[in-house]
Amino acid sequence: MQPTSQHFQAAVVEDALRLLEAFVDATPGVTFAVLSSADGFEIAAHPRGVARARRLAAMSSSLQALSEAMAGEAGLEGIRNLVIESNGGTVIVLGVGKVTPRLSLTVVARGDETLGRLLWASRECCASLERRLLPATN
Amino acid sequence: MSGDREIKIVFTGPMGAGKTTAIRAISDAPPVSTEVANTDRATNAKPTTTVALDYGQLLLEDGTAVSLYGTPGQERFSFMWEILCRGSLGVVLLLDGSTATACQDLQGYAEAFRRIDPNQPFVIGVGRVPPDDYRLDEYARALGARGIVAPVFGVDVRQREDVLLLIETLLCVLEAQMPEPDHAAH
Repeated sequence: MQPTSQHFQAAVVEDALRLLEAFVDATPGVTFAVLSSADGFEIAAHPRGVARARRLAAMSSSLQALSEAMAGEAGLEGIRNLVIESNGGTVIVLGVGKVTPRLSLTVVARGDETLGRLLWASRECCASLERRLLPATN
Repeated sequence: MSGDREIKIVFTGPMGAGKTTAIRAISDAPPVSTEVANTDRATNAKPTTTVALDYGQLLLEDGTAVSLYGTPGQERFSFMWEILCRGSLGVVLLLDGSTATACQDLQGYAEAFRRIDPNQPFVIGVGRVPPDDYRLDEYARALGARGIVAPVFGVDVRQREDVLLLIETLLCVLEAQMPEPDHAAH
């Protein structure tokens, strides 16, 4: 079976799930959020039981790594987030960078919620996750 | 085969088989790498793993520019296998011969990549075995039983010559597959 939370105790994962649930419920347009490891394992997701969560977790890991490689090639550094805008909505991948090894938060939003509001809310969610997860990694 | 042309080759195989190392060994410029910390030490103890791709370039003496793409090894990244195979002319399948699952891995990856593109030729490179290891024949037979004919080599992917042998063999297979020129046509 695919491991989903090597680094974190069940209580920490439960807290992460609660944070994701509160974020999804409170943020207009957001339909799904998944926290994943840098190497593509799902750690927590809301709503739970979404079949595509594992694939989205793996894809987030690929996209984030590729974005960093591309930014490096372009002489940039310090990737903050990755935004995919489509006709149907938006996907944002954010680094939960203070946790080591790095984690990613992937947010799927439908409709026409403004990108700025989505980004702001997603970063707040990242900060909450970091506050909860950081002590668990030390 | 000669002339200035560009071809794309994909390196694949299970986690830890040496895909990133092989591309690093032959790329003319430092390759693009997407390695991150490996948190799945139960599957493989190595500290990092590729999660998107490796990309390198190799210019052959005949002017052929070879784009080298390495895939992630884990099945959860199989979406990258399909993306990276678009436009690829052949597959270098690398295996870690010291693992108990090498022959099983060979069949699994060969079948997965055969499904992605039934016409792509394979060359197999088996690492961490003596060059004349008897199991290399077994690997070829296991593939043959599945209707896949592919040369199998024992290789050290850290050695440029060994990886170039795989590339040159793949190019020979490709050349053999090309239709004969029609000398009767005027």
